[in-house]
Amino acid sequence: MLILRKAEDRGHTDLGWLDSYHTFSFGGYHDPKHMGFRALRVLNDDRVAAGKGFGAHGHRDMEILSYVLEGGLAHKDSMGEQHVLGPNEVQAMSAGSGVIHSEFNASATSPTHFLQIWIVPAVEDLKPTYQQFAYASAEKRGALRLIAGPDKTSSPPAAVIHQDARMYAAVLGPGDSVDYSIRPGRHAWVQCATGAIDVNGLALKQGDGLAVSDESALRLRGSNGRDAELLLFDLA
Amino acid sequence: MSDVNVLIVFYSRYGTAERIALAAGVGAIQARANIRLRRVADHADAKTIDATPAWRENLDRMNRDYVAPRPADPQWADVIVMATPLESHAEIESFCSSLRAIAPMTGKIAAPLALGDEESALGPIYAAAACAGMVVVPAKMDSGDPIAAAREYGQRITEMARSLKQRSISR
Repeated sequence: MLILRKAEDRGHTDLGWLDSYHTFSFGGYHDPKHMGFRALRVLNDDRVAAGKGFGAHGHRDMEILSYVLEGGLAHKDSMGEQHVLGPNEVQAMSAGSGVIHSEFNASATSPTHFLQIWIVPAVEDLKPTYQQFAYASAEKRGALRLIAGPDKTSSPPAAVIHQDARMYAAVLGPGDSVDYSIRPGRHAWVQCATGAIDVNGLALKQGDGLAVSDESALRLRGSNGRDAELLLFDLA
Repeated sequence: MSDVNVLIVFYSRYGTAERIALAAGVGAIQARANIRLRRVADHADAKTIDATPAWRENLDRMNRDYVAPRPADPQWADVIVMATPLESHAEIESFCSSLRAIAPMTGKIAAPLALGDEESALGPIYAAAACAGMVVVPAKMDSGDPIAAAREYGQRITEMARSLKQRSISR
């Protein structure tokens, strides 16, 4: 079963400095029909104006992943971590028992575009942790590159999250395709981050999401005249 | 959604009071509170601040990370943490004195917080909070690790607010 979540049906917040689309309920956008999918609780598509960002605020018991599509994101938190995140990097923060952080566009002149993803952890009250690492863009070209998952020894390395969930990224050129097997009883969410793709014959444009249940395989194809970037979540 | 709202208001020039405010905030989150962090504005004018580069540098950074308290914040809060340096507490004192005019404060917890054990310097803040009908809960900051003490304080005041709310509901 494939259920399409169209980009234009998402929640929307426009604060001038922030232009954010919410695949699931978030902040002032609340729709009981869209509270998340399995452990995937938040998927925000954020564009932040130059020099602007989210001031200091707190989180608890959430696996927070940031995936930059364009520009840079400056992160600072109460654990003492202070970093700038760019494309082809992964940032994963386990809020655990409690953390305060801020996130700003690292550039004073250019906007930044990133996806923020929240995954509900399987365990509460964990010690807060921060992970960030870079990978080569070639690793996700025409292939699903594991970005985050529960395994501490994955190769190539990925961010470790405290949930039976895996997040992959791929960049597909026109005509590129990748296949993904879904184990029985598991679910998937496909998010078309940029460009346009085709999933098992269903067209997804930028910002569209697709809930997948009771399927055993996915064929993901780049379907437009330019590269498309997607995220795939494999969920219990 | 948590049942306790904790507003953390601080005044800081060089980041020390900011750090203990953040630690109290983390403690409140650990005790499952919703939090808001706010920095009160300096009384000093721009020329005075510019004369001390470290003050200016920290102020520019903090102005990016925090907004000033808004009238809706104390209305929302069950607990108001007020963190300040002991040597320059006029800003927090003014904030505390303004609360009564913003919203009914009776029964809310006031949590003055400063680095050090010179509690007499916080006397005017205790008095202003008490006059507004707030329950004043002094911090114990004379232990070795001020960050740990502030975190523990954040937990304690959140649990206290929860207990007061539950008692008021059960009546």
